[in-house]
Amino acid sequence: MRVAIAGAGAVGRSIAGELLENGHEVLLIDHSPKAIKVDSVPRAEWLLADACEISSLDDAALQRCQVVIAATGDDKANLVISLLAKTEYGVPRVVARVNHPDNEWLYNESWGVDVAVSTPRLLSALVEEAVSVGDLVRLMTFGQSEASLVELTMPDDAPLVGQRVGGIEWPADTSLVAILREGRVLVPQSDDPLQAGDELFFVTSEDVEEELARLLSAG
Amino acid sequence: MHIVIMGCGRVGSTLAHILEDRDNTVSVIDRDPEAFRRLGSGFKGDRVTGIGFDRAVLTQSGIERADAFAAVSSGDNSNIIAARVARETFGVQRVAARIYDPRRAEVYERLGIPTVATVRWTADQMLRKLLPEGGEPLWRDPTGRIVLAEVAFSPSWIGEQVKALEASTMTRIAFVDRLGQAFVPEPGTALQEGDVLHVVAKEGDLNRIAAAFAARGGEH
Repeated sequence: MRVAIAGAGAVGRSIAGELLENGHEVLLIDHSPKAIKVDSVPRAEWLLADACEISSLDDAALQRCQVVIAATGDDKANLVISLLAKTEYGVPRVVARVNHPDNEWLYNESWGVDVAVSTPRLLSALVEEAVSVGDLVRLMTFGQSEASLVELTMPDDAPLVGQRVGGIEWPADTSLVAILREGRVLVPQSDDPLQAGDELFFVTSEDVEEELARLLSAG
Repeated sequence: MHIVIMGCGRVGSTLAHILEDRDNTVSVIDRDPEAFRRLGSGFKGDRVTGIGFDRAVLTQSGIERADAFAAVSSGDNSNIIAARVARETFGVQRVAARIYDPRRAEVYERLGIPTVATVRWTADQMLRKLLPEGGEPLWRDPTGRIVLAEVAFSPSWIGEQVKALEASTMTRIAFVDRLGQAFVPEPGTALQEGDVLHVVAKEGDLNRIAAAFAARGGEH
């Protein structure tokens, strides 16, 4: 797959490295000569250009990319790159980085964004996940859908402790996908009893999240 | 009318004064409070400090009751984002964005945001002052795609009707300058010696049109 990444900062370069590892073809674009560090990702193709300009994107042959990642540190640039990638080059999958949480609401299909990745939100979700017991924490939302991955650490006094997974009636459109117990991943079987300290991972839809939270904390 | 202007540079402050002089209420947004000094003390409207596509900032500027929004900050990206937010989130009917990069201006026009493509326009004006007349189109639409240009025609067309020339060259003749008087020709107007023809066309078609006017095609 050919992937173009706009913004060759730490974020762009590290995504490039991962994608190259997985056998993809990567083009890194940055408008600052200082950011062009070819030695840091030698297997990527590099382009010194402003990714907000049509002529640069023509040079980058964006129409041949299956994925474009707008990963610069500037939300305005990321939105414009996404818009141009989608409307002018018909790129099937556009992923954009949100730098400032206040701008997150702009990242949607009207700007050509298929998937918005918000660093501050991810960071706060991870911190929340690390410190909270008994609260439902949303780890991520899938694309622009309403499905999300949520996590909950079972407190000692949770009503569901000791109950069989198969005997619990989860809210609609909710699936318990994994249990993390003492550092090991368990694929939930209907006969497994839940234990205090279990980390439960659900894929669920936004509108039943509250119901799920109530079920898990009721008592 | 209430009009919101984003960007208090030379253009923004000039616009603000002109609009206020014409009895409109005006709010000006700029992220640098120093920029408001350009407005001078005579300006009665609101000065709002902040990012021009931030919803709270726009709300403070009275965008919800605004009839028009002008995005004239120094950044193309800020201007297009603010213009789209004003139009799509707040439903402002009349918006315009100043865009330096002519190719992006074209894209945004297609998306329905009227743009003022400053660089192209300025370059044109300079060229017209630097080069002999006729070297450049007389007028260019804001996106820079459609031009009004003077095109010379072969004397063999003299006596023919305008509609014959139009049909044979697939061109629209906008007006004719005859002996110093301009007029909009009827389809049946006959061409005379000394007529100066002006066509409205896509800029890329101009060479083809000039060639078609210079030769008399479609006869025999």
